[in-house]
Amino acid sequence: MTHQGTRDFALEQSAAPKGEATGDDHAVALSARDLVVRYGGVAAVSGVSLDLRAGEVVGLIGPNGAGKSSALGALGGQIKITSGAITMGGRSIERLVPHKRARLGLVRTFQSTSEFEGMTVFENLVTAGQGAEGAALMHVLFQRKVNRESEVRAIERAWSILDRFEMAETANAYGRELSGGQRRLVEIMRCLMRDPKVLLLDEPMVGVAPRLVAKLVNDLKTVRDDGIALLIVEHALEVVSELCDRVVVMAQGEVICSGTYADAVANKEVRDAYLG
Amino acid sequence: MSTWSFYIATLVVYFGVDLLSGWSLNLQYGYAGVINFAYVIFQAVGAYVAATVTLGPSGGSTTFQQYIFGANLPFPVPLLLAAVAGAALSAVVGLFSLRRIRRDYQAAILLIVSLIAIQVASSDVALFNGSNGVTGVPRPLFSAFGLSIGSWEWVYAAWVLVICGGVYALVQWLGSSSWGRALRAMRDQEDAAAAIGFNITALRLQVFIIGGAIAGLSGGLLVEYIGAWSPGAWGYAETFVIFTAIFVGGVGNNRGVVIGVLLVPIIFLEIPRFLPQIGYPGLIFSLQWIAIGFMWMLCLLLRPRGILPERRPIARRGLALTAASARDEK
Repeated sequence: MTHQGTRDFALEQSAAPKGEATGDDHAVALSARDLVVRYGGVAAVSGVSLDLRAGEVVGLIGPNGAGKSSALGALGGQIKITSGAITMGGRSIERLVPHKRARLGLVRTFQSTSEFEGMTVFENLVTAGQGAEGAALMHVLFQRKVNRESEVRAIERAWSILDRFEMAETANAYGRELSGGQRRLVEIMRCLMRDPKVLLLDEPMVGVAPRLVAKLVNDLKTVRDDGIALLIVEHALEVVSELCDRVVVMAQGEVICSGTYADAVANKEVRDAYLG
Repeated sequence: MSTWSFYIATLVVYFGVDLLSGWSLNLQYGYAGVINFAYVIFQAVGAYVAATVTLGPSGGSTTFQQYIFGANLPFPVPLLLAAVAGAALSAVVGLFSLRRIRRDYQAAILLIVSLIAIQVASSDVALFNGSNGVTGVPRPLFSAFGLSIGSWEWVYAAWVLVICGGVYALVQWLGSSSWGRALRAMRDQEDAAAAIGFNITALRLQVFIIGGAIAGLSGGLLVEYIGAWSPGAWGYAETFVIFTAIFVGGVGNNRGVVIGVLLVPIIFLEIPRFLPQIGYPGLIFSLQWIAIGFMWMLCLLLRPRGILPERRPIARRGLALTAASARDEK
């Protein structure tokens, strides 16, 4: 199978996941077409296309160096794309910087834990909840009532999310005082404070103790049930099979398979390139 | 007695000016993570502007010196203009130095800006009288109230402390506000802060300009007391003294900055005045700078969060975060 052939296959599969009718644009939360990311002469991502639908978990898997994190960075805006198109709710976003994508509801976590380590868990959440609008200097200086109201709303929501994830007792802890799994949860809770439409997670199980993995998987299922679209880069295949509705398999910058986890496992090219 | 009175009053003024510098730089570095190695140039521009708008037109009664912005404005307008000048220069420097590049590169750019600025000010005589600087700046309100020189020094010291009180309230309020939390988020994880919607460049520029305004104000207050200002007063090393004070006192804690300023630029730099001369003249002065460097490194190694670390706000259900009680981190 040629690379061009695999790209076409991926596009076809991603356009109609799980047998859904094509043209159901309202359900597509994020769409990428023919993404290319080059570092100098090296193509880290070559013509990747995928769709994410509301309330769906898609796993982005593949061997090291496949281009998964670059693809995630391209979607989040941290990495500049060479060519291609990204749309969210029909709006073209590939030229937007990360904070503008976040304001549209596209938020992400990072491979290394990225909680605000000099802030308590509660501050992490309230800061995200108030967002750029609530933290605007002009609001702080001249619209104190508006600012105070946004803080009250963020505080109420932070307690609600802490309760939901059974993390209220860590509210006043600094990130550096938490376990790896708790730090991952803080990042996810912080993202949820933004009321995202799309959540990109880069290896969320890294550093998480095995006994906490099942809890984190269940927590992510509840996030999906809220109607949020999740794209997860993950190496723990048992997590992928348990959590993801679909998987997109990448190798050498290209999509080599897209479908259910069972489809991917049955695919010879995937077995050769990744599953061994 | 009058000599000691003058000395103590001068120390109080220096303490106040260094406090303003410490709080300003702490807002930029301690809260926002902006490593402003050019800090002293914003203080310097405030001092120059306050001096020249007080001295009167260039070529008038002070024909022995040349400068721009010459005017004869009443107190406290020169101080306000000093703050505006600090803010304006910060905006210009910030626009090209605070783009989305790594923080160590930003720090390097700002250090270079500091070195260039002092060369320009020393070489261009038409700007602020070159390396000789400006002198003869009239003391504000000295004649208006008919004060003796000894009384005026203490009145001015009290005025500086009043300004310090106002600036402390400002930086505390801003630091504990939602804007202050956004700064700390940016400091801790820039990419993660952007990924939840914060405009990093805008936040950096805002804190840089506010800090620059306080720096300019501190320069204005200082020059109106000492009456002169030249490139010799604002070498880039002055910035490092304030950084050391912040590291010793407590990064991100404005009360810690008070301790740091008291220990480093006031007590530590004043002690040698009372020591007998050792070695060749100027040796102790040179050793001071070496000791400042060691102090900074020791602090980073042994107590990186300083004597009074950043305070941890305690959240309780039903309470606003900013109103919650706080305790010092153990």
